[in-house]
Amino acid sequence: MPGFDFSNHNRNAALHAQGVPLPKATSTGTTIVGCLFNGGVVIAADTRATSGPIVADKNCEKLHYIAPQIWCAGAGTAADTEFTTAIISSNLELHALSTGRKPRVVTCMTMLKQHLFRYQGYIGAYLVVAGVDPTGAHLFTVHAHGSTDKLPYVTMGSGSLAAMSVFETQWKNDLTKDAAVKLCSDAIMAGIFNDLGSGSNVDVAIITEEKATLLRNFITPNVRQPKERNYRFQRGTTAILNEKLITREEISKYITVHELEDDNVTAAAETMDVDQ
Amino acid sequence: MDSLVAQYTRPAFSEAGQSQEEQQGLSQASPELSLKFALPPVAQSASWLRAMTDDYSNPNCPIKIAHGTTTLAFRFKGGIIVATDSRATAGNWIASQTVKKVIEINNCLLGTMAGGAADCQYWLAFLGMQCRLHELRHKRRISVAAASKILANLVYSYKGMGLSMGTMCAGVTPQEGPALYYIDSDGTRLAGNLFCVGSGQTFAYGVLDAQYQYDLSDEDALELGRRSILAATHRDAYSGGFINLYHVKEDGWVKHGFNDTNPMFWKTKLEKGEFSNVTADLV
Amino acid sequence: MASVFTGAPPQGGPGYSFKQTPTVALSGERQHSFYPYTDNGGSTLGISGADFTILAGDTRSTHGYNINTRYAPKLFKIGGEGPENKGSRIVLSVVGFAADGDALKERLDTIVKMYKYQHGKSITVAACAQRLSHILYNKRFFPYYVHAILGGIDEDGKGALYSYDPVGSYEREQCRAAGAAASLIMPFLDNQVNLKNQYEPGSGTGHDLQAKLAQPLPRKDVEDLVRDAFTSAVERHIEVGDGLQMMIITKDGIEETFTPLKKD
Repeated sequence: MPGFDFSNHNRNAALHAQGVPLPKATSTGTTIVGCLFNGGVVIAADTRATSGPIVADKNCEKLHYIAPQIWCAGAGTAADTEFTTAIISSNLELHALSTGRKPRVVTCMTMLKQHLFRYQGYIGAYLVVAGVDPTGAHLFTVHAHGSTDKLPYVTMGSGSLAAMSVFETQWKNDLTKDAAVKLCSDAIMAGIFNDLGSGSNVDVAIITEEKATLLRNFITPNVRQPKERNYRFQRGTTAILNEKLITREEISKYITVHELEDDNVTAAAETMDVDQ
Repeated sequence: MDSLVAQYTRPAFSEAGQSQEEQQGLSQASPELSLKFALPPVAQSASWLRAMTDDYSNPNCPIKIAHGTTTLAFRFKGGIIVATDSRATAGNWIASQTVKKVIEINNCLLGTMAGGAADCQYWLAFLGMQCRLHELRHKRRISVAAASKILANLVYSYKGMGLSMGTMCAGVTPQEGPALYYIDSDGTRLAGNLFCVGSGQTFAYGVLDAQYQYDLSDEDALELGRRSILAATHRDAYSGGFINLYHVKEDGWVKHGFNDTNPMFWKTKLEKGEFSNVTADLV
Repeated sequence: MASVFTGAPPQGGPGYSFKQTPTVALSGERQHSFYPYTDNGGSTLGISGADFTILAGDTRSTHGYNINTRYAPKLFKIGGEGPENKGSRIVLSVVGFAADGDALKERLDTIVKMYKYQHGKSITVAACAQRLSHILYNKRFFPYYVHAILGGIDEDGKGALYSYDPVGSYEREQCRAAGAAASLIMPFLDNQVNLKNQYEPGSGTGHDLQAKLAQPLPRKDVEDLVRDAFTSAVERHIEVGDGLQMMIITKDGIEETFTPLKKD
């Protein structure tokens, strides 16, 4: 049967009991929220991923695609949210194809909770599921152990209390789309500034009857301050014990070499999001 | 009735402010090396301290105390050579690469530092004070045997409290000649010709035992001390940094530099062909 | 509503994947219920120059994933006149458990002030440094949970910087970073202040290449390095942020500056 390999479970549990630390998984701290409005639903997330007290990724994406009009915000173990949403997305697509109908949000939520319940919380995925289907706009939370909630506004992650305080003071019935986006991003900002596990930027996804819009880096309140000094080393600063030159002809035997048009431009696949 | 009330009441703010003793400590003119230590309010203070500070048995302990590492000293015909590395580690973290692990107790007595850095610094300073007092009281310099015994008795009185030190006392006096003692926090005190102490001791012994002779010339003895520490810094991750070399002679000790191990390693390898296991060749 | 997330605090070990963290320590040691310490996060840094010393620290105080306050100084003037420490030339920085840090500052300040009353002159940094070591060691069996750095001007007018471990082992140094982001800042300082792993370009090939020799840096450069060290630490460590407090000690006194840092 396909699935997870548990053959090391007992060994790891025994090691753990003896005090051997677990390998660190990325991201436990997060703020994710969702809010229904007149004609659709909004979800939002911060973009910090942590490994213990260290920021592993300053601008990660926590809003995951499930179906064209169903999106999911994930908190908990980064790999678990990533793969759980991918598996369900794929199964939901097959389901939609075999039924010949648009997938429903409840279906997605049920598949998620059944998947997570089977693994008794060991898959550390905490999700906010939102979407619009023929029965209307829906918003759910799914916990790692398999329990779910259906509410007009929800928060999850270590910044959930900070974010919920914004909803509890400012939420109203029948919000407009813009008001809902503002409310959600304010809630995320509360998490970003008051919870150490959350930080950096605000990502927002708006789903209406017509379409879903992802507003990546909707607000960027934490741009890096420019450095005071230039840290470029003069050529020859690093000591070299020995050198070996590998020609293009030689390396072409093992890998494919692409010519760059311009030496000053790095290839598109290689560009990274770095500080200037 | 009064006794009953007294039993269940206590003066308000009894804990507020400082005690008489504490106030005296603050206003004391000279910064005394006190023998009065604050203790945690628990029954088993030693095991409490171990839970908080012993990073060997508990890598997640909250307080990481800096530890010293490879030290050696040996007696030979020209006096005593004392050599150490200079690395201090707190858990896996290299806290410093520039620690002075040879402590100059006075101008003809040296102490070395292995184990808890603070324990060694404090108690060897305390020993320096006791040695000076001995000089003033008896109008002659203290013998190395007596000095080492002051330290050994002192650490023995704290046995089980959690002190951690492995130290050597080296000195030359008219009555004893060159004398070398090993003292550790268990209370052990040994006289001897040759000692290596610390996590890199085995590596240092390897070189030192192979090459050691009592009749070594001064130059050869200094070189042997240096080379033994170099071997230890090469194989022990908790040793490294600089090599601190001293030569104790009849008229006091002489310092022979505080030198970086990295250039020293490459010089030893390239000029003498040693460390041939290390190669800079590319495959 | 069950949306309360039980994330593990940064210090408490992994709270995910496995049901619970081990409750018994290694080798079956008894777990002590007396735990008087907390880690308030934050970081400090000190660099000494030819005729000045700079100490710096962020002003965030944390507890787990929460921020206690965005302005809690980690730098304290020692000695001088009155509660404002007027005319002081010594600065103590403490990071770790803030309550222990406060107690330590209070102790040292009192002693340094008493020293002036009794001797009619200000204490030297060297004497103050040794006294601080003894204060820390006096609690050898019940340690102050702090990393202290002491800065000032020595008797030759040169910048002096001393760093300490929790039980009082100390050393005079050129630069030192302590606290939560020490492991992020210290390698940067080794490279930029002590010029470690930097060689003089063109001074030779292979083993003849000469290592760059560290010179005392001018004040402007040191201030810039400190700011860069902290803006970078803020990017990658969640417990560092909010504000940067800097104290520059020269023969003319202590200048204090405050620079805002990111608050996320």
